[in-house]
Amino acid sequence: MNALAHGAAYGAVIATVLLAMVALAIWFERKLAGRMQSRLGPTMVGPVGLLQPIADVLKLLQKEDIVPADADRGLFNVAPVLAVLVSLGAAAVVPFAPSTIAADLDVGVLYVLAIGGLMVIPTFAAGWASNNKFALLGGMRAVAQSVSYGVPLVLATLVPVILAGTMSLSGIVAWQSQHHWFAVWPVLPGLPAFFVFFLALLAESNRIPFDIPEAESELVAGVTTEYTGAKFTLFYMAEYLHTLVGSAVAAALFFGGWDGPFAPGLFWMVGKTLALFASVYWVRWSLLRFRADQLMELCWKRLTPLSVALVLLAAAWVQFVPGGGK
Amino acid sequence: MGHVLDALRAMGTTLVTAFRKPTTVEFPKVVRPRAERYRASFALPDDEHGELACIGCLACERICPSYVIKMKPTGKIESPVTGKKRQYVDAFVLDLSACIGCELCIQVCNSDAIRMTREPEVPGFSREDLVLDLERLRANAREKTMSWGKGSELQERQEPPKAEKKPKPEVAPVAVPVAGEAR
Repeated sequence: MNALAHGAAYGAVIATVLLAMVALAIWFERKLAGRMQSRLGPTMVGPVGLLQPIADVLKLLQKEDIVPADADRGLFNVAPVLAVLVSLGAAAVVPFAPSTIAADLDVGVLYVLAIGGLMVIPTFAAGWASNNKFALLGGMRAVAQSVSYGVPLVLATLVPVILAGTMSLSGIVAWQSQHHWFAVWPVLPGLPAFFVFFLALLAESNRIPFDIPEAESELVAGVTTEYTGAKFTLFYMAEYLHTLVGSAVAAALFFGGWDGPFAPGLFWMVGKTLALFASVYWVRWSLLRFRADQLMELCWKRLTPLSVALVLLAAAWVQFVPGGGK
Repeated sequence: MGHVLDALRAMGTTLVTAFRKPTTVEFPKVVRPRAERYRASFALPDDEHGELACIGCLACERICPSYVIKMKPTGKIESPVTGKKRQYVDAFVLDLSACIGCELCIQVCNSDAIRMTREPEVPGFSREDLVLDLERLRANAREKTMSWGKGSELQERQEPPKAEKKPKPEVAPVAVPVAGEAR
């Protein structure tokens, strides 16, 4: 009962903070995108355009709520809510500070991977329920992509798990704060594992350059083609939430989470998360979309063998290097 | 490997751009200087005696390629200022919504009686806002900055080079537009 109350309280706080961060993140992304294209980004709503996401949401909520006549009503309505829930759910085991964590699971990493993998279900449900060829194609692509990139994602996550010898996210962060960040040392499995994880994360959350499930130039808007108003807003939010939580997990796994000098842990965790989040958008506004076959080639021919090798290297490091397992 | 390098180069470009000053000019707040020959709206200025310079000769109405000028000449009456006989206009309407800004009306005006203004923009909330009547055209002449060209100047620039031998008349005979030509 006590654990339940703790989880509920922290869950409410973290969900609220995350949703507020999403609003900020949308503003941040648009500003960043603007500057990368030598533009200004939003400037008109509020000081330096800070209220732009609120204006966007207000606009979206005013739109007519349309359900296509031949759509699967129940599924169509549930999918966007599920998308947000799944994205928020992964945040439960993310340690924001030494004791700021909603649920300190022993199998936190497994939980994150499982919940993250669930993201494909609302996506495909939306594509299927819309009864629209573009939406269905988008949903099918999302499934193919998620299933493929799940493999390097899991294998890359195994590297810090093996090195730290625990599956608890806060345990991994604690290990790193006592020893060293995995992205820094051991460099050989650590840093490449981070890049594999980062690429797989981009693919899992359907971000550019792996955004073929919603490729605007081919599929109108992919799975969100038929969505309007509030439900579209939910999908939009889920997209940012997923990226944000993914960045937080990456920060915890490879960059030592709350570990850092001079400032409280929360500051470092949020700072690292935002830096990774920014790099997701840095990639997004720099690169072009992959073709579906290139996407599969990158996954199965490059990332998967590489991540298998990295896992073996990590195991060898723990086994043979003196002090490697400490 | 080449692909990876290309991707890194692309990301380098965006990173460098992100720290550069944006090229955006925030238009309503910052207005870039207009070109000297920039022209937008119209004005009917007064002549040197302080009365409307337009003599209602219909030259601009006839040359206008989009037929946006309509005027009503008065016929010759005695000027209350100079006492000489001349013609005025009772009504002069210029519809900016269809005007293509070709400046032909300025070029054909022998009395320098129609000018274009250099004000930045001339928006309106309704189509009627874009229809300039005599009153608004005269107000423009009082309030707005004029663009560079006058009828007499433009005609002089565009005249073919004159033969040297002929003695020049004091005042160059002005080209009277032929009624109904090329309409």
